[in-house]
Amino acid sequence: MLGIRWFLVICIVLAILLPLTAQTSSSALQPTEELQPRFSSAFALVHRAEAAGATREETADLVLLLNKALQLSEEATRLPGSETQRVALLAQANETLGRVETEATRLEVTASQRTFTNRIAAYVTGGIGALLATIAYAYGGYIWRRYRIKRTFQMRILPKVK
Amino acid sequence: MSSQSRRFLLVVFLTFLVIFEMVAYVTTTPRPREQFFQLYILGANRLLSDYYPNNDPNIGVGDLVRWHVGVTDSMGSVQLVVIRIKLANQTIRPPDDLQAQPSPAPLITEFRRFIQDNETWEMPFFWQIVNADMPEGYTRILEMQINNETYQVPGLTALDGHNFRVILELWTWETQSETLQFGWSSGNERRVAWLQVWFNMTSSARQ
Repeated sequence: MLGIRWFLVICIVLAILLPLTAQTSSSALQPTEELQPRFSSAFALVHRAEAAGATREETADLVLLLNKALQLSEEATRLPGSETQRVALLAQANETLGRVETEATRLEVTASQRTFTNRIAAYVTGGIGALLATIAYAYGGYIWRRYRIKRTFQMRILPKVK
Repeated sequence: MSSQSRRFLLVVFLTFLVIFEMVAYVTTTPRPREQFFQLYILGANRLLSDYYPNNDPNIGVGDLVRWHVGVTDSMGSVQLVVIRIKLANQTIRPPDDLQAQPSPAPLITEFRRFIQDNETWEMPFFWQIVNADMPEGYTRILEMQINNETYQVPGLTALDGHNFRVILELWTWETQSETLQFGWSSGNERRVAWLQVWFNMTSSARQ
């Protein structure tokens, strides 16, 4: 009976202490390390947007947000012992990275559509250009033939001047 | 129009089509370019001079050294660059360019930043030795302040304070392996960029 009571007491103490130890071990981690998967994923999405054809001006805002998140996580690293502030800064950095991800995904779609449209337009323009060049060539040939015929009929036979 | 003329025009059209489509392909396909970073360090007046206070490489405790460190991204995409600051003496190996290995010198601190293609990130790098001692003819640097932050130096000594050096290494984030790497990959090659500036901390400088 006594054993069961002790067991229950130990269980309650462990239930209180375990979350505290978990919190301590997680706070020992560097914030940039904690957010590393988020940084990595946001950065990869920015790269994908660039590969899809996003311009420098379009990615400039994303780079600003990435640097802001980096600054927030570094500030969280430097905070001396204030867990609440640290968690708040990390949450803010996390939210900023979320914005980067959303914006980069949207930008990737827009840029890839634009790149596709531009490519199609370039090839269609090439086809139209080839058609116009052929028409110009045919019309030029026609004018040239008419000119030669006209010149032929304008020819006169003149006696040779001695 | 005779069928022969039509056939001839068709050949002309196809010839023009091939030429024009080739032009379209060339204009819409991005050209491959050399990918690289530039890493530089400038003196107090952002020139290639005045690296030391009073142009004297003998630096004393509390002497503020003003440098400007910059990185230019010519990789064609956004990059995460990390500048690692290390402090070494004469015997510690510098980074290895051929094997792309960083220096084993103790890391003091690092600066991180995302930069765009063709963007230059330049930052002030003001540092001073704030604590050092001299055990048996050696000078040992104990604490260093960089941009108003103080860092502990893990026991770095030099005989009579000669030939200390600050090493700056450029690290980048490799998207595929999701790790920080020394230098960067350009095609199948590994390239690195690093700088070092020597200084002394002799007894005369410390007095």
